[in-house]
Amino acid sequence: MQSFIPIVLVVVQLALLLALSPFVVGLIRKVKARLQCRRGASLFQPYADLAKLFRKQPVISSTTSWIFTAAPYIVFASTVAAGLLMPVFVSHTPLNFAGNIIALVYLLALGTFFLILAGLDAGSAFGGMGSSREAIVATLAEPAMMLSILSIALTAGSTNLSTIVHQSALMEGVVVAPPAHLMALAALFIVTLAETGRVPVDNPATHLELTMIHEAMLLEYSGRYLALMEWAAGIKLLVFLTLIVNVFAPWGIATSLAPSAIAVGLLVYLGKVAALALVIGVIESMFAKLRLFRVPEMLGAAFILSLLALVFFYTLKG
Amino acid sequence: MPASTQLGSQLVDLCSVLLLLCCFAIVAQRRLSACVDLFALQSAFLAATAALVAFLTGHKHIYFAAALTIVIKVIVLPRILRKVIERLNVSRELGMNINIPAGLLICGALVIIAFFITQPIIPLGYLLTRDSLAIALAIILIGFFTMIARQKAITQMVGFLVMENGVFLGATAAAYGMPLIVELGVFFDVLVAGLIVGIYTHRLQDTFDSVDTSTLTVLKE
Repeated sequence: MQSFIPIVLVVVQLALLLALSPFVVGLIRKVKARLQCRRGASLFQPYADLAKLFRKQPVISSTTSWIFTAAPYIVFASTVAAGLLMPVFVSHTPLNFAGNIIALVYLLALGTFFLILAGLDAGSAFGGMGSSREAIVATLAEPAMMLSILSIALTAGSTNLSTIVHQSALMEGVVVAPPAHLMALAALFIVTLAETGRVPVDNPATHLELTMIHEAMLLEYSGRYLALMEWAAGIKLLVFLTLIVNVFAPWGIATSLAPSAIAVGLLVYLGKVAALALVIGVIESMFAKLRLFRVPEMLGAAFILSLLALVFFYTLKG
Repeated sequence: MPASTQLGSQLVDLCSVLLLLCCFAIVAQRRLSACVDLFALQSAFLAATAALVAFLTGHKHIYFAAALTIVIKVIVLPRILRKVIERLNVSRELGMNINIPAGLLICGALVIIAFFITQPIIPLGYLLTRDSLAIALAIILIGFFTMIARQKAITQMVGFLVMENGVFLGATAAAYGMPLIVELGVFFDVLVAGLIVGIYTHRLQDTFDSVDTSTLTVLKE
């Protein structure tokens, strides 16, 4: 019976990630629509979109290689695997032994890599352009992401996500180095906007050839491949939101396996993710997309913030 | 350290970090009016830090300095600078000596240098504001860097004012503020400097049709 619980937890976590991600996408769209005085599509529209795409017959260009058809599965699997490595609503992750925070970052990078390859593979001009832009954004975002996560790992004394979240959840709101924490949070938030293709960097709602990054790489996809890619993008967004929520504000997460604690943890988690999705929706409505050559400036700022977070961790001990 | 002192110390640290963040925002900002607004914001954080220190230590004269900061650096000086910008009809800084990402990286290095230099001194201090000394030095260096990297007279003025903010923070951090008479003198100095730069930029504009200070190097008959 005891060995049965971790398996149940993993399955529940997997189901939650898969089921919740289209809802988060729908929620952000709804928030944007409401702020623009539109009624907007239903919160469950992304589910309907996915269901429709899965039923459609895919069309594959004859110039593509095996990479084109393999990439959606690799992107989807690596994103889901990254999602399973981190604590979601219980601070003890059963798959904890499988990898730490660095593995998580590189699982996500693996997905990005295959996405870039797939964009190039079809040989269309837009796909190549999207891939080249995505490569710039990903290379610039990665150092900032690593540094901000490392500064948090230093605070907890471990690179293991479960340990980090568990320890900070047990501290009940006492943060060891608030400036470092705050700056790492800001850096990771900017990285999240860049990596998940949200507004100041990329616009998920447009197919305008001059501006798109993520959409450009998906232009050649259709049917179930497109569905998998879009679903993976949703899960990636949810993974980043969960990372921010659980690493920087883990209070309320279940620290034991008692049913009541798990129920509270689940509710608190849903509330926090919804709140963060709301913030992203508001930000998308407030800011215009940056011109592409300004993106390195923003990611440079994120890098500096995370660097300062590391420095402050060592120097500002109160 | 007792818990309340530690909390106070952390709050002071947090406020000074916000000042430092304003510095970085100024370095990353192209629009002149936004630079001035950020300077006003930074001064507001400075006043908050000073008031916090005054509250935690019970030194009444720091309240006075905080009030002066709000009047002069948050209200009067930004207003003067905004008027200058309006009348000059320049809104953006183009053609910087160092581009923005490189500038940000250099400022990151400056912060590390500042922290490295103050590292041996800070443990010797016993004041609850001692960590702010490192941040103050970093702010002074970044202000100095802004004066070097920018070409417009107004952003150079903002750089100078940022340096002054750093000095004020440093004084508060190292010695709970300077004597009142010195502080009054410094504030008067800054105010006069603001007025003079305002006039000087007008003269620059009249003579060269630009507020680019690099034109001054060709000031020969």
